[in-house]
Amino acid sequence: MRRKWNKKPVVLAAAALVLTASAFADDAMAYFTTYSSATGSVTMDLGFTETVPEEEVDAEGKHVRIANVGDYDCFVRVKVFSVIEVGYEPSEGWTQGSDGYWYYEPVLAAGETTPELLITYELPDASEEGGTDEFDIIVVQECTPVVYDEAGNPIPDWDNVIISEGTE
Amino acid sequence: MRRKKKSFPVKPALLLGAAGLLLLGSTVGSTRAALTYYSENYSAQVDMSSIGVSLLENGETVSSRDYTSDGAWEGGTEGTLLTNLLGEGEKITPGKTYDEKLSVANSGNIDTFVRVILTKSWQDGDGAKDTTLSPDLIELGLTEGSGWVQADVESSPERVVLYYTEALAPGETTEDLCDSIRISHEVANQVTKVTEGNTIRYVYDYSGYSFTLDAEVDAVQTHNAQDAIKSAWGVDVNISADGQSLSLQ
Repeated sequence: MRRKWNKKPVVLAAAALVLTASAFADDAMAYFTTYSSATGSVTMDLGFTETVPEEEVDAEGKHVRIANVGDYDCFVRVKVFSVIEVGYEPSEGWTQGSDGYWYYEPVLAAGETTPELLITYELPDASEEGGTDEFDIIVVQECTPVVYDEAGNPIPDWDNVIISEGTE
Repeated sequence: MRRKKKSFPVKPALLLGAAGLLLLGSTVGSTRAALTYYSENYSAQVDMSSIGVSLLENGETVSSRDYTSDGAWEGGTEGTLLTNLLGEGEKITPGKTYDEKLSVANSGNIDTFVRVILTKSWQDGDGAKDTTLSPDLIELGLTEGSGWVQADVESSPERVVLYYTEALAPGETTEDLCDSIRISHEVANQVTKVTEGNTIRYVYDYSGYSFTLDAEVDAVQTHNAQDAIKSAWGVDVNISADGQSLSLQ
């Protein structure tokens, strides 16, 4: 006679095993964790500034100052064109470059003005041959924004310049 | 006729008994384990319920999330970064290095292992994320020899994942994982020449864009750290025998 299989104990045993397993599963999930986060954003306000030459002529010569009237820091340089011979009396910060420009070495901050660069000359005698009492000294000034090199030093970028000129 | 006595089913009864014993045994074992667990760690249970982590920017806490003993979470999880990056009226200058010291503090009561995920991105003038601009132009000054190691496998140009290799004790703060932020000077080279009549001017291509820095800090218990980190962060790490330091696999 075929023996009848009794299901009840097997089911009970299986239930016991599942309960036992679930007890361990609870333990494995109980890890303590936490997190926190923060975010920030800065808008790039980049632009080229505007500089204005301030020129004043008196008996000493031509006093040139460059004012940064824009919103961004910059470097400035000037070049002088004249039919007569001129000399220079630079204030601190001005140095002559090998390319004929006079460079103001410090950064010219927005709203600031350079110290003067005095351009001296001797008036030609109009009575002499070739002499004249009218002449122009043209000052071309250029500015360029401040950028920083790999070492974090402020440097000019003379590939991108804004040019304006003053004449007197 | 004498009625035949019904035989007692010994085998099913034995099986039933065994099942009952197993069930009972498992319950007892579980209860005992639970009792042992709580009794051994009873004084520590208060500590265990107080995991916490804080993100610091230039020494100031910008966000934190701490579990308190009454079973609630405390702290603002969403902090703000870069608020004091620039001075009053100052504009960001490409190539200039700005202070951005980031570190992590354990503001809970149990030792933790921590990691930080930094994400860099660009947004255009309308605030939409612009993925055509390189996140590499946002340069973070990640520190070396500070206990933080970068997980190269998990990192990308946009995302940096850093693990602190030492367990962080309650109240302790990590070394700075980052000490500066800089927008590459290459940004200043991206200009467009505009001619208006006799005037020539240049316009920066990146002007009006915004760069964004996101920082997420995660903390996990040091107890059973290898499994806990695998479970919480999904990464495999090696834990030293004393359980106090971590290395990436």
